[in-house]
Order: sequence, then C-alpha cells, then structure tokens
Amino acid sequence: MNKGSDDIPLFKKWSQWYVLVIMVLVILIIFFAWFTKYFS
Amino acid sequence: MSKIDWIVLGLTLLTIITYGLYKSRTTKDLDGYFLSNRSMPWYLVLLSIMGTQASAITFLSAPGQAFTDGMRFVQYYFGLPLAMVVLCITFVPRFSKLRVFTAYEFLETRFDLKTRVFTSFLFLLQRGLSTGISIYAPSIILSSLLGWNIVLTNIIMGGLLIIYTVSGGAKAVAYTQQLQFVIIFVGMFLAGYMIVHQLPEGVGFIDALKVSGATGKLNVITTGYKNGSFDWNDRYNIFSGVIGGFFLALSYFGTDQSQVGRYLTAKNNTQSKLGLLMNGIVKVPMQFFILLIGALLFTFYQFKPSPVFHNRAVEEKAYTTPYKDSLQYIRQQYDALNLTQNNLSLAFVNEGHQTAAVENDQIKENLQAGDIKMQKLRVDYKETIKKALPLADSNDTNYIFLRFVIDFLPVGLIGLLIAIIFLASWGSIAAALNSLASCTMIDFHQRFSKPPVNESAVFVSEREYRISKWYTFGWGIFSIFIAQFANRMGSLIEAVNVLGSLFYGVILGIFLVAFYVKRIGGRAVFWSAVVSEIAVVTLFLLNQYEIIGLSFLWLNVVGALLVVMIAWFLQLFHPTRVSVS
Repeated sequence: MNKGSDDIPLFKKWSQWYVLVIMVLVILIIFFAWFTKYFS
Repeated sequence: MSKIDWIVLGLTLLTIITYGLYKSRTTKDLDGYFLSNRSMPWYLVLLSIMGTQASAITFLSAPGQAFTDGMRFVQYYFGLPLAMVVLCITFVPRFSKLRVFTAYEFLETRFDLKTRVFTSFLFLLQRGLSTGISIYAPSIILSSLLGWNIVLTNIIMGGLLIIYTVSGGAKAVAYTQQLQFVIIFVGMFLAGYMIVHQLPEGVGFIDALKVSGATGKLNVITTGYKNGSFDWNDRYNIFSGVIGGFFLALSYFGTDQSQVGRYLTAKNNTQSKLGLLMNGIVKVPMQFFILLIGALLFTFYQFKPSPVFHNRAVEEKAYTTPYKDSLQYIRQQYDALNLTQNNLSLAFVNEGHQTAAVENDQIKENLQAGDIKMQKLRVDYKETIKKALPLADSNDTNYIFLRFVIDFLPVGLIGLLIAIIFLASWGSIAAALNSLASCTMIDFHQRFSKPPVNESAVFVSEREYRISKWYTFGWGIFSIFIAQFANRMGSLIEAVNVLGSLFYGVILGIFLVAFYVKRIGGRAVFWSAVVSEIAVVTLFLLNQYEIIGLSFLWLNVVGALLVVMIAWFLQLFHPTRVSVS
C-alpha cells in the first residue's frame, strides 16, 4: 500500500464516507425492523 | 452425482486453478509475492476481504441457521460496518505509514521485538490449526452426503488450491477470489430461484415469505428481552450484534494477518479504505440474502415432505442400532404432522389471497402450533440418534442446504453447487496460507536470519521469494495433516471458534494498548500478554473440567481486558521508556 495522495472519491472528506456507512447500516436496521414486523 | 455434475464440478475447479496460474505473474520478490506489489484497486481488495471471510461453512451453515433459528443471525454482522470505520481511522493509516508486510511488524516499532514475535506466534498457532479444521469441515459434509472418501476429499479440498497459491502468492489469491465470488453468487441466486420455482402452483415469492414469517423465521430484528428483562444467554440480538459484533470484527479485520494481508495489497491508502468501507456497506445485505435462502427453504418444506434429520448417512447408521423402533415411531409422527402443515400452509396462502383476515389468523395459529410440535419431534429424534450413536454428530444444521441441493436441484446445478463449496473453501484457505507464509517469512525468517555480507540485495530478495513459496507449500501440507485428525474435535464450527477465542482476545488487547494507551511500553505489554494468555487457557481448562461455568465466547473479552489492565498496572509500578513510532 503506497502512502500516495489521499484523493477521496465521491466526497471531500473521509468523515463523509464514515457517515454514509453508518447511515446505510441505520437504514438497513430500519428496513429489517419493518420487514420483521410486516411478515410476522 | 451424475456424469454432467462431475463435468461441471471438474471444469469449474479447473477454470479456477488455470485462472490462478495465469494471474500468477508477479515480481520475484516479497513485495510481489505477499502484497501484489501493492497494486490492487479497491474492488479487488473488497472481493478479497469478503472471499477470505466467507468460507464454505458460511454458505452451508447460514441457510441451515435460518432454517432452524430464523434470520436473526444477521444481527451478528451489525457491528462490522462500525469496525470498518474504526479500522479506516486508526489501523489503516498506521500500517500504511510504516509500509509493513504483517500487522505484527507494527508491534516491534510500537513496543519491541519480543512482543512482535509473541503475537505473530499466537497467530501462526491459531490460524494454522483453524485452517486445518476449515478444510475438514466442508469435506466431512460432502463425504457424508455423497459417500466420498474423507482422506481424498481433504486432500482435494486443501491440496488443489496450493498449486496457484504457491505459484502466484497474494495476486493469484485475490484474482481467484474475484472469479470465485462471481461463481458463488450466480450459484446461490440459482439455488434461491429454484426453491421458489419448485413451490406449488399459485404460491409465489411473497406468499413464501408470509409462510416463513408466520412461523417466526423472518425474525431479523430481535431485542433479547424476555418477560421484561434482558436475556444475557440470548446469543443473537441487536445489542449483542452491534456491541459484540463490533469487537469481533475489529479483532478479526484489524489483527488477523489473513485479513490485514488483503488490504495491505491495495494500491494506496484510499483504495484500502474504500475496500474496507464498501465491505461495511455490502456485508450485511449479503448475509441477509444468504439467510433468506434458508428461510425460503423452510417454507419449501412447509409444502413438501420434509426430512426429520438432514444428515442421511448418520440417520441410516442409527437405524442399524436397537434404537431403530424409537426413531421410526418419531418419524411416523413427524410425517403425519408434516402433511397437516402442508395443507395448512396451502390454506394460509389461499385465504391470504382472499383477504379473509379472521380465518387466516386462525390458520396462522394452527400453523405455529404445528411448527412447535415438529420442532420438538426433531429434538427428540436428534436425542435418540445421539443415544444410538454417541460419537456421531447429531447436529444436522450444516447438512440442510446441501441435502436440498442433492434431492431437488436439476442435473448440472448440483455439480455447480458442490463446486461452490470447494471455491468458498479455497478462497479463505488460500488467503490463510498466504498470511501464514508471510508471517513465517517476515516475522521470523527474515527477522532472525543474517544473509552473508557479500550477497547482493537482488540475490537475497530472490532467495527469500523462493523460500516463501516453500513456506506456503509447507503450511498447506500442515493444514491437510491437521484436517486428517480434525474428526476428534467434536463440533467443528465450535472448535474453530474456541481456538479463535483462546488467542483473539489477547492479540486484540495488545493492539488496543498499541493504538490507544500511548504510555504503556513493550516490557509491560509483553508480560501482560503472557500472563493473560496463561489465564485464558487456564479458564478454558477449568471450564472443560466443569470446575467453573464460562462460555468460550467470553474468553475474547476476558483476554483483551486482562492485557490492557495488567499492562496498565505493570507500567504504573515498573515504568519503562516508551518507544515513539
């Protein structure tokens, strides 16, 4: 792994990527909660 | 298996080996062999990380898990995305800055040589033994279901991949994992499609989900609360998934060289982080879909005759014992109930179409009551098998999916699904062998051997490259050797987890101190790790001899906390100079 330039794709900061990953997790958990309730 | 299945199986495996050999060309030095010259784009890093984590047991065990316990197992992965974020913030930049080959190399810079060697040794011990079990686990399932010779199956499962792993190192591992993953997902998708396709006429995908849901198999989110209080013995719920899963993923992806070695192959820091973050995004949905196949399979058997016990070889053997009559009696009861469930499921779907809510609620209640009775009969049947054959594995969870594949899938697809079991194994075993060889070479051979002063750097580099290939080969043979003795280890998945729990906690503790407690030095952390490891093994043995009661899962937490606490105290009372990296 080269240290290289830290050109971040899609966003300006890595912190925005981290927020995206956590947001996806939260959305998935909300979807799963709905899924569990709907089919129970 | 039919001739066509054999041809599909053979061609698929041959394609992977040929592709691995084709992609083997790297520079003849350690950077090329262990890190693909640090040239991989993020999507190859991602597939390599996923291919290393998902072994054959993932694809066999997860559908079986959903079949028996529902889909709540997916919560176990909720901590993984959070761990990926922490890895990107803390672990990746440090490994990248020091341009390390192994995670343990970093520990020498942060602490000292003995801490690095000790941690690397623990990794080699744990990974070497568990790779042997990873070969044996799918081999015993295939040999049991298809009547194959176990020694030969072990050799094919663990041996063929050695060809391209020795030849091409990390690059061949990454490229074959890419192709393996494509084949695995095409196969799993086809298996899922075939389950729904073979449901009775008029029963669609949504109907199948409704039947699964009515019998509690779509319990993706559970809280672990029972009668108003939290059940600490409940293994899979949203809290244990987020908190426990986070620590487990952090130790696995941050301190296990088989994973660290994958993202160190990335072109740069950015590609490495992207690979890990994308893993955090796709891992949970991927596990959800694999588990969904298991839930759909459960529905499938709500409309078709269902086996009481899915490991046919053990069942047939049990029928040759004096327990034959007891087993037959339970099976008759089970078959009668299964028939009632088949009719109830059809009525549930038909009433659902006519939206007669009240009547459908009644059918649903009957369906649930019938399912509880069937589950109880399955438990009784397994207990009787255990009495009949005390040494046989009476847990058939890992056999459920493959039994369906063999009994219900068309010719050709059976061969493809069997090939998938091999490919999934190869993906994780190849990465393990590569990481075992890299630790042996970098943390031991290169660190302690002194090449003659008059030798040129190029000559030394090429010699180390050649020796690394022998180390990879040696670890491959060692793993197959361990696999031949793994039948004495009882439940295999548990054996892998127990082995991991004996060492993971202490290794994680060392890295936690390295990253987060700057004032603790090498001597304190080394002796703390030694004492903690002895304590963890002692606790494990005390539990084995039933002197105390402690689930092996807690050994991870105990190991990590002990290292941090003991190191803190040692540093407090015997302060030493802390090296600054």
